[in-house]
This record gives sequence, structure tokens and C-alpha cells, in this order.
Amino acid sequence: MFVAFIALLALAACRGGEAAHRRTLVDARDRYDPKSLDPALSTDVPTGRAVSYLFDGLTRFSPDAKVGPALATRWDVSPDGRTYVFHLRPGVRFHDGTLLHASDVVHSFTRVLDPANKSGRPWPLYPIAGARAFAAGKAATVSGLAVVNDSTIRISLDTALAIFPKLLAMPVASVVPAKIPADFGEHPIGTGAWTLVSWQHDDFVLLARNAEYFGGAPKLDSLMIRIIPEPSTAVAEFESGNVDLLYVPEADAPRWEQTDEKKALLTSAPALRLWYVALNTTRGPLKDVRVRQALNHAVDVRTILDKLLGGRGRLAAGVIPPTLEGADTARAPYAYDPAAAKKLLAAAGYAKGFDIELWLPQDPAFARVAESIQSYLAAVGVRAKIVQRESAAAREASRNGQTDMFVKDWYADYPDAENFLYPLLYGANRGVGGNVSFYENPAYDRIVALARTEQDSVKRVSLYRQADSLEFADAPMIYLFFYNELYAVQPWVKGFVAPTIFNGQKFLDVTITPH
Amino acid sequence: MGALLARRALLAIPTLAGVVVVAFLLLYVAPGDPVLEMVGERADSATIARLRTELHLDESLPRQFAHYAGGVVRGDLGRSFITGRPIARDIAERFPKTLELAGTAMLLAIVVGVSLGVLSARHPGGWIDRGALALAYAGVSFPVYWVGLLLILLFAVLLHWLPPSGYGRPVYLILPALALGSRSIAFLARMTRSSMLDVLSSDFVRTARAKGAREKIVLMHHALRNALVPVISVLGLDFGSYLTGSILTETVFSWPGIGRYVVNAIGRRDLPAIQGTVLFLSVVFVVVNVITDLAYAAADPRIAYD
Repeated sequence: MFVAFIALLALAACRGGEAAHRRTLVDARDRYDPKSLDPALSTDVPTGRAVSYLFDGLTRFSPDAKVGPALATRWDVSPDGRTYVFHLRPGVRFHDGTLLHASDVVHSFTRVLDPANKSGRPWPLYPIAGARAFAAGKAATVSGLAVVNDSTIRISLDTALAIFPKLLAMPVASVVPAKIPADFGEHPIGTGAWTLVSWQHDDFVLLARNAEYFGGAPKLDSLMIRIIPEPSTAVAEFESGNVDLLYVPEADAPRWEQTDEKKALLTSAPALRLWYVALNTTRGPLKDVRVRQALNHAVDVRTILDKLLGGRGRLAAGVIPPTLEGADTARAPYAYDPAAAKKLLAAAGYAKGFDIELWLPQDPAFARVAESIQSYLAAVGVRAKIVQRESAAAREASRNGQTDMFVKDWYADYPDAENFLYPLLYGANRGVGGNVSFYENPAYDRIVALARTEQDSVKRVSLYRQADSLEFADAPMIYLFFYNELYAVQPWVKGFVAPTIFNGQKFLDVTITPH
Repeated sequence: MGALLARRALLAIPTLAGVVVVAFLLLYVAPGDPVLEMVGERADSATIARLRTELHLDESLPRQFAHYAGGVVRGDLGRSFITGRPIARDIAERFPKTLELAGTAMLLAIVVGVSLGVLSARHPGGWIDRGALALAYAGVSFPVYWVGLLLILLFAVLLHWLPPSGYGRPVYLILPALALGSRSIAFLARMTRSSMLDVLSSDFVRTARAKGAREKIVLMHHALRNALVPVISVLGLDFGSYLTGSILTETVFSWPGIGRYVVNAIGRRDLPAIQGTVLFLSVVFVVVNVITDLAYAAADPRIAYD
């Protein structure tokens, strides 16, 4: 019987040459299926990335996270910063051949805000005047959206918001055609660089180049997004040559760097991703700023980064990534100084330490980081009990304010310092808004609010810096590091630039050489 | 036979009703808010409140249950909170793939397991017997997950014989079916062996040998058929392990089946998807149990149901 089985294996062995001579790029970065290909339902990375291949917004991000023109060729801002006029690119066609009209933009944004569509993420469009009222069912239209003529749209905002063009580059603000089929999430029609060929759920999404793409057709014939849930399997697929692009798991980085051959396949970009331990500033000893500072001094973040993550990152001294304007690269992180930590704890009345809970979601990399933090804290007398919960449960607990310390990360939606300062620490965003430190500082809130409306970019950046230094002193978190995303790319793939923001790489200039 | 089927079908109704209640309640006891999973990490409370109302999650538990049970009775499993797709369609898309995998694994387990068992019983203590014992220990002790990764490393990465993962032509079935079937192969081999040894020492086998029947006939015709009854019951019981095993196997081998579907649904607190899948799998389970009972009767005419 085993003989028959071995024979079957040998028969099957005749493949292998299959990977050669294709002009399809196989991307194995996604661990789970996109939720839908309907931009209105895009709230996570796999969905947002797939949507950004198929659709365009008025603006878009480049791989190095600059915002630039997409469906709009340019835009004018009124002096008070409350009115934007977008000029549409002429002659753009949807995949079904229909021409893009200015009314499509209004319709697309209205659709995302429409409660009937159960869109989970309408907030990028909330700055538009009347958007909230419409979403709440209190208005028949979104008052801030107006078609000026067939190639011009005017968008009025409730208050000035300098980052508005960046919000419009998010997948949820993609432009969809006026006529939408009932199963749009399965059969999307966009203007994007890629068109959908087939989507086999939990298996793959196959896209073909849009030869008519206004930004220049992609050089590859097709793009396959393979959904591989298990990281070790994805690595095996890469090593077998079936997969061209891989996201190297955080804890795996040191292993990949061991041999020169493998190291040559690696490419990296400073991702807009902060790892931190949110300290709930409303709970027990954590109410005291000295305790929070002490915890920062107690942990040797440099060693954690070097030993557990192959040194792939940069220590955080604030929440703004060093690649974004507003980051103060001269500011020093909290020094690893257990003696200083003990002194601060004693000053706060905790000379004998205290008991506390350290929460984290189910994730091997977070688990290792949490264990190290636990032992560093023990050295200064803080007895942290690790509470690991499945992600949904851990996240809910942290949003409800039930966690003392919570190990987590934050991945930017758009490349701007505001995307860190505002959701993570702004007073009004406590809980579900993203501020799980429950940090509230009126001075900080005032500066962040000012920065959001400030039109002058020099002044805005200076406000960002001020806000960042203010919260850094208050230490509403243990600042860990900004992680550099690590990719493995096959040697036959040319022109791939690791994107800083998740939807910044649309594979327009990527090619595959014969191999 | 008809009466048996009718009775079993009637008995299944309270079982399934119980499943509906338990599946519904368990999810409300478990922490994790489905709406928080829908909106992503940065959200606003207005959207959360609105979604909660639209999904009837703000109503009392009995009303929510009535809502859900009403749908089930009408044959409507609802739509996924996360993807908006009908659950029934999701299941219809994925279950055949799981069945394909589980069926192949089962076939592999029967063929390999029973053969090993018969060969071992033929010469207890011989080299085949000892080899099979070692294999059986390995099969039972190693977790499916680990076996799967080892198979990928050996047959895909090192030898390049088979694709590491994915769904497609029959070659893609081999490794996951082997991983999923490994436990069953081991169980069946041991089960068949001891059952065969029992039967081989019974009177009618001695009679068969005494009348001069060839050893092959004795083994295959007289002994094996009688030894199969306990084997069938193990197979039936093991069906559950195919379904639960498929969760891990499908994850390791990127197989787009129902096991992965339900794991994703649980991770995202997609209540209708979890409830629908649990209910559906329970129906499958009940059906398999009936089939097992019928198979007993076919294997051993002394077993009759009335």
C-alpha cells in the first residue's frame, strides 16, 4: 500500500518547473481573506490593500508615503481651509468602460456614509460638512458635497482640516461607479490599475492588469494575492519558489539574516508602526506620572529590540515615527536606568513595588516582548501578571478600560503625525477611538486640535512636535519602538520598493525577469 | 430500515434544537464584541451604536434568540456581520472542499490503517507488526499541526515532490490528507490488529482452517469481515476528529475549507457565521451517526434494528 502511495508521490513530483516564465507576481503577505472588495467595507489591511489595487481615490500614497494626485489632478484650498475644490482627471474610465463623472465621487462618499451600507469605517469622511447628520439619518443628502461641473467637485468641511487630502487616499474613500451591482463586494468595478479576474475565498484573489490605467498600465500581466494563514507555510512556499513576496514574521528576522544568500532577499522600510505598552492612566498606581516614567526607565527596550526582533526598528521617543514631519529625532528615549526607576517609584510611595496586570493579545511576538517586560519590571519590584487573551477579547477589555497595561501596536492609516497623536492619545478618543491609555490632558488636546486645523505646514509641524514632547513627559505608555517592516522578495522580482504605508505599493513598475 | 431512518430523524430534532440554543448562548457568554471587530481599531461611538441597532444586538437576549431561531426555522442562516455575504453560500462554497479533504484522509486511513492492521495480526510480533506499532505511536502522539509542517518541509521544501499548500489539482490533496489522516491511520491499524487477533482465535476460524481453506480466504473472507464491526464504530466516532482536525490542517495547508472559515469567524466574533457553521456541522454529525449505524447492520447481519 505504501508502495502505491510513494508511486503517487513520484507522479506528482513532475511539477516544479511551473514557477518559471510567468509574469504573474504572487504576493503572500495576507494571512486572511479580504472582508470584501467593496471599498465601503474596508477596515483592515488585506481588504484595504486589495481595494487599492482595484479602485482609486481622489488622491493616493506613493511607496514613500507622500500624498499625490490620483483621480484628481490637483486641488485648491480656500484660505480658511474649509473648502476644497478637486479637479478631476479627464477621460478616466471604469473597468466596465463607463466614463468617470464628478457625480460618481459625490455618490461614492454618500454611499459610504449611508447607514444602509453598514460601513464600519465612515470616519475618514466625517470632516465633510453634514456627513455626520446624514450618517445618523437626520439629513437626506450630505450638504458639504457639491458637483460644480462634470470635472470639478467642491467639498466643504465643518472645520479646517489640513490632513483632509490624506484621508481621501484611504481605501474607504475610493470612487465607485454610479450603478452598483448587488454583489459589488464580490464583483467590484473600479478605475484601478488592476481588474478582478477571480476571487476564491480563503485561497486567492487573482487580478489582471488594466491596460487602460490612467497612471500607466502595470508592467506585469497579473497579480495573485495568495491567502496563507500560517507563516511557516508561507515561508515554505517562498522557499519552493511559488511565492514572490513575503512578509517575514517579526520573530523570524534573525534567522533570515544568518546566511548571506537569504539576507540578499530581504528588503525593508521603516513602517509607520509603533509598538507600545498602553498604560491606563486612570487605574491604580498608573495614575501617577512618576510611576509611568519609572516603568519607562525600568525596561531595556534596546535589548528587547535587538534580541527579539533582530534590531529591526528604532526606539520610540514619542509617538510620531521619525520618518514623519513633526518627529523630534533629537529627543532621547527614556534611558534604561533601574536605579532611577526605583527612585521614582519610591517618590510615588511604591518603594516596595506593586502588583499589576500586563495584558496582551494572542501573538507570539507580543508574548515574547511581554515576558521580557515582565522580568524587567520585576527587577524594580513591580510584579506584573501576564494576562493573554484572544485578540478580540483583549482588545475589548482594553477599550473598556479594564486593562492596566496592554502590549499592542498601531499601524498608521495615513502618513501623518496626526494619525498617531489624535487617535492614540486625544482625550475625546478614549476607549473605542483608539486611546486605550485613557490619557486626557487639556493642554495636549488643545495643541492637537490646533494642529489639525492649522493651514501653515511649518506651524502645524511645530505644533505636532510640541504635543509629542508634552505627552512624552506624561508617559501614558511604555514607549517601545517603530518597527521596520521586513519583506523577502525573490531575486527575479525587479523594481519592488517596500511601502511605508500599507496601500502605498500598487506594483505598477514591478517586473519579473526570466528565471 | 425506513422505520429506523424515520426514528433517527425524529430524535435528531431535539438534538439540533439544543445545538441552536447552546451555540447561541455560548457566544454571548464569551468576551469580545462583534461590532468592535466590524469597525476596526479606530472607531467612533456613533457608528458602533448604529451598527448595534441594525444588527439587533441592542435587543434583549430572548428577542435576539427569537430573531435568530426564526431565521433558522425558515432555513435562513443570515448574513455575515463582517463580509455581508449569506452564511449559507459561504458554507456551500467551503464544505465540499472540507469533504474532499476529509474523504481522502478517511480513505487513506481505511486503506493504510486496515491493511497495516491485517498484516500486523497475521504475524503478531513480526517486523511488520513492530514497525506498524512504532508508526501508530507516532501517528497518535504527534499533533496534526506539527505533522503537517514536517510533511511540508520534507516533501515540498526539501524534495520538491509536492506543492507545499493551496487548493487545486489532486496533487494538492496528498499532504493535507496524509496529515489529517495520520491519527486515524494509527488508530485503525491498532484497532484492526486487536480485533483481527480476537477473531482469528475464535472457533469458526479454526473450523475454516480445519476444512482446508486457504490462509488468504481465512483472513480476508472469514476474519476481516467479522473484525470490521469495531473498526466501523471507530471510523464513525473518528469523524468528529476529521472535522476538528480540518481546522488545523486547513490552516497549515492554506486549504479553503470550513475549518478555517469557522476559525476566522470566531476570531472576528462573526456571530451568524459561527452559529450557522456549528449548526450545519451538527447536522452533518447526526447524519454520519445514522450512516454508521446502518453500516453496522451491513457488516454484521446479526445486528438488527427494529
